[in-house]
Amino acid sequence: MKELILQTLCDLRAYALSKNVDATFFYHEEESYLMRFANSAISLNTNEHLIRLEITAYEDRKRASYEMITDLSKLDEMKQGVDIAAEMVKHAQALNYQPTVPAYGETHIDETSYDAALAGIGNEERLGYFNQAVAGLETDEIRLSGIFSCGVNTIAQITTRSEHLQYFKSTDAQISVVLSHSTLKWEVIAEQSAQKKTELNPALLRRDLAFLLERYLHDTPQQLPVGSYDIVFGSAAIAELISIMNYIGFDGGSMKRGFSFIAEDQVGQQVFSDKFNLTDDPTRLETFPFRRDMTGMSREPFPIFEQGIFNSFTWSQDDADEFGATPTGHTVMHNSLVLEGGGREVGTLEELVNLPRENDLLYIPFLHYMNIVNPSKGLITASSRFGALLLKKDGSVAVPYNVRITQSLSDIFGDRLAWLSRTQTVYNTSMSYGARNPTSIVVPAFLQVNALEISHSNSSY
Amino acid sequence: MRNKFQEQIQRLKAAGATYVDARWYPVEETNQLMMWNGNLKTVSSSRESGVGIRVLYKGAWGFSASSDVGNLTSLFDKALDNARVAAERVTFPVRLAEKESIQASFKSPNRIDPFSVPLGEKVEFLKKLDEQLNQPGVAQRVCELIFMRKQIVYFDSEGSEIEKNIIEVFPSIQVMGVDAQGESHSRKFSPSLSGATRGWETLDPHLFSENAERIVREMNEVLVAETCPTDQRSVILLPGIMYLQTHETIGHALELDRILGYELAYAGGSFVKLGDFGELRYGSPKLTARANATLPNSPGSFGYDDDGVAAQDNLLIDKGLLVGAITGRQMVEEANVRAGKAIFNGSSGANRATAFYRVPIERMTNINIDPGSDGSLDDIVKNTEKGIILDGDKSWSIGSNREQFHFATDIGWLVEDGKVTRVVKNPTYKGETVPFYNSLSAVGDESTWEVRSVDNCGKGQPNQVMQLGHGIPVCRFDNVTIGE
Ligand SMILES: [Zn+2]
Repeated sequence: MKELILQTLCDLRAYALSKNVDATFFYHEEESYLMRFANSAISLNTNEHLIRLEITAYEDRKRASYEMITDLSKLDEMKQGVDIAAEMVKHAQALNYQPTVPAYGETHIDETSYDAALAGIGNEERLGYFNQAVAGLETDEIRLSGIFSCGVNTIAQITTRSEHLQYFKSTDAQISVVLSHSTLKWEVIAEQSAQKKTELNPALLRRDLAFLLERYLHDTPQQLPVGSYDIVFGSAAIAELISIMNYIGFDGGSMKRGFSFIAEDQVGQQVFSDKFNLTDDPTRLETFPFRRDMTGMSREPFPIFEQGIFNSFTWSQDDADEFGATPTGHTVMHNSLVLEGGGREVGTLEELVNLPRENDLLYIPFLHYMNIVNPSKGLITASSRFGALLLKKDGSVAVPYNVRITQSLSDIFGDRLAWLSRTQTVYNTSMSYGARNPTSIVVPAFLQVNALEISHSNSSY
Repeated sequence: MRNKFQEQIQRLKAAGATYVDARWYPVEETNQLMMWNGNLKTVSSSRESGVGIRVLYKGAWGFSASSDVGNLTSLFDKALDNARVAAERVTFPVRLAEKESIQASFKSPNRIDPFSVPLGEKVEFLKKLDEQLNQPGVAQRVCELIFMRKQIVYFDSEGSEIEKNIIEVFPSIQVMGVDAQGESHSRKFSPSLSGATRGWETLDPHLFSENAERIVREMNEVLVAETCPTDQRSVILLPGIMYLQTHETIGHALELDRILGYELAYAGGSFVKLGDFGELRYGSPKLTARANATLPNSPGSFGYDDDGVAAQDNLLIDKGLLVGAITGRQMVEEANVRAGKAIFNGSSGANRATAFYRVPIERMTNINIDPGSDGSLDDIVKNTEKGIILDGDKSWSIGSNREQFHFATDIGWLVEDGKVTRVVKNPTYKGETVPFYNSLSAVGDESTWEVRSVDNCGKGQPNQVMQLGHGIPVCRFDNVTIGE
C-alpha cells in the first residue's frame, strides 16, 4: 500500500511538472472505527475509509488549493485535480509576501507511531474493552455511555520542488467511558489514550469509575457557595487549559494578529510560575508526533516555557513568511505538548483523596465547554463536569454540583500554582471532525492552584 | 446506479435487516475564499462523493461509508456486520416511528449558482470590501465567502426515494482593533437572510458596504470605551447574540437524543426531562419558539430529512410552556415508551447527517422565536430603566446540561432611563436557562426579526458540523448579571 501511495504521488508530481504547474501534494488516508455507547447499549458502530488529496498550486505570490475525497485507483481524477488547482491559482490574487513552496531535502518515512496490533483490533475487542471497564458497575439506574474510537492514519507528501517524499503512519485510540445516573443527571468518566495495543488498560478505568461511583451514589450532593477555592485540576482539565494556549498563547501568527495573551516583548520574561515547564516534544510517541514538519523541517524538543519563562513563539512556515519570522518547525497538524511533572507524589485519584490537607480542596477533573472570553488577557470560562469532588480538610469527601470558573491562564498557572504531580498522564484531545488527526497532550496527573474564584455554582446537577 | 442501491437494500432485508437506508452523494462541493488584511490567504475548493449505508438489525444500528461506490456489496455487508456486533449490546431495541413512503425531490431556491460565478468575480467582491474596511483603528480585517453545494439521493427499505439539491452561501466580514491597554476588540457582520432564495444573488454589495462602515465605526467606539460595569440589569439582546442564546439554550437543550442521554459522553445532556413536556414553564408567556424547516432561504430548510421525513413547522415552546422537541424517527419512539405515554406524534423531520460518511442525528432546523408585541428596538429601549444592549457573539460557554451559561459579546450600549448613554467594552452576561427565559420581559416586533444562518454547529461522535438557521427578534431579559 505504501509503495502505491508513494508511486501515485510521484506520478502526480510528474504530471504537474509536465503541465508546468508548481504544486504541493498532501495525501491523507484514514481507516476509522468508532463504537459509541449510550444508555448501556451500542448506539452506533461505524467505520469509514477515506482518502483525501489536497493539491496546492503556486504561481509566484499566488496560491490556491483543491481537495478531494478520492481513491488510489482514480489517478485520472487526481490529475484533473491538478488541472483545477492550476486553473484556480490563475484567478487568485497575489499575497503581499512570498509564500515558501517546500522542497524536501531527503525522503522521510516514519512509521514509528504505527502499531500493527492496534490497527488490527476488531469489533469484539472494542466491545470487550468496554465490558471490562464497567464490569459489575452498571445497574438499571447507572447507565453506560462513551466511545471507543481508533484508527490508522497515513499522511504522505511530495512537491514539485524535489523528488523526495514524506510519509507518516500512525495508530491511535481514544476511549471515554461514562457512567451516568438515569434520572439524577450526573455522570462520572474515565478515559484513556493509546498509541499501541499494549497500552489499552480497561482495569485502570474501572478502578477510577468504581471509586467515583461509590462517592456519587452515596454522598449527598451540595451546592458550593461561590467564592475562592483551592482547586486541584485533573489531567483532562489540565490538557484543555494547555490546549487552548495553541490558539491564544505561543503561536506567533496568533500573536501578530492580536489573538494572544503573550506579547511579542515577553520572550525571555517570567510569564507563569517557575514550576511551569512546557515543551513541544516530538520524541514522545504517545503524542502521535511529527519528527518532520509539513515543510520538511526536522523537529526536536522545543521548550516553550522553562521555569515559567516564556522561551519562544512557535512559527508555521506561512506565518513566518507573512511576518518575516523564522519558521520553527511548527507547520504541523498538531504539536506534541508535554507539561513537565512536579514534585508531588500523587498519581491516582485515591492518592489525591488521601492526601493530607490544611484547606478544603475542590477537585475538578474535567472542564466543559471552555471558551475564550478575552484572548488578550488569556481569560477563559468553563464549567466543571464528570466527577468533581470537594475534599474537605477533615479528610471527608463530598460531591458538589457543577461550578463555573472564569479565570485568566496567568491566574491559573502563575503564582498561585501550588504543585504538580510527578506522575504524567497522556490525555487524548483529538476532535473527530474533518480528517482524522490523533492528538494528545502529556500532562501531570493533577495540579493544584490556590485561591481561584468560582463565579457560579449550580443548585442541582 | 439507482437500481443497484435498491437491489442491495432488498438483499440486506432478506438477510435479516429490519430497515436499511442509503444516502448517495454523487457530488458535494465547497468553495472558500478568505482575505485577511488584503491577502487572499485562502482560495480553496473541495469535492467529494460517496455513499453511507445505515442498517437496523435486531434493534441495533450499523453504519458504513465509503467514497468508492464500485463495491456496494462489501459496503452493505460491512454495515450489516457492524449492526450484528451492536446487536450484542441492546437495552432498548431501536424502532422507527411510522412515516409515509415518499418519492420526491427538493431544490433549495437559488437564482445564481455560486459555483457558476467566476473566481475572479468572487475575489473582486472581497477586494472591494477589504478596501472599505481598511480604515484608521482597524488592525485586522477579514472577509470570507463560503459556498456549498450538495446532491443527495436517499433510498430506504420502506420504498422512499428522495433527491435533494442544496446550495448555501455564507459570507462574513470582521474587523479587529487594539485599545490603549493592548486589548483586542472586534466587530463582525454577516447578513441576515432575506428574500426567498439563497444563491450568489443574496450577496448585496450595498448592504455589505453599509455594514462595513458601521462595524468599523462601532469597533472604534469600543476601542475608546470604558469597561462594562459589573451589576444586575436588563439585557436587550440584538439578533446578533440572541440567535446564539437561542441556539445554545433552546435549540441544543431540546434535541431529543440529548434529552434521552445520547450525547452524555461528549457534549452533555439537557436539563429537560420527558415529564417536562406540557408542564415546564420554560419562559415567560412572551416566549414562543418553534422549529420551522419551511423557511425558503435558510440552511435550516432542506425539504426532507435523512430519515426521509418531510420538513415541518412545529412549536417547541408555546407562550412559555414547553411543548415540543427536535426529533427523528428513532428517538420519538423511545421517548414515548420511556415516558409511558405518547408525548410525540411521529418524527419532526430533524434527523440529518453532515456528510455521506456520517450517520444522521437530531439537528436543529430553523429554531426561531416568534416576533412579539413590544414594538421596535427604540420602543424597547424607551421602556427600559436600567439596561444594556448587547450584540456580537464573542464567546459562549454552556453548562453540561444546558442549565446555565456565560456569554461575552463584541459591544454593549448602556441604557439609563429609556435612553442609550454610552458604549462599553468587554461586555459579558451569565444566567441560568429557565430563570433567564422566565425573565423575558419584552419581545420586539417584526421590524426587529431577522433570520441568521449558522454554518458551524458541532455535535455528535464522530463529530458533525451542520448548517442551520434562527429567526430571531430583539429580546429583553430582566435582572441579569453582567460584567463577570
Ligand atoms: Zn450548535
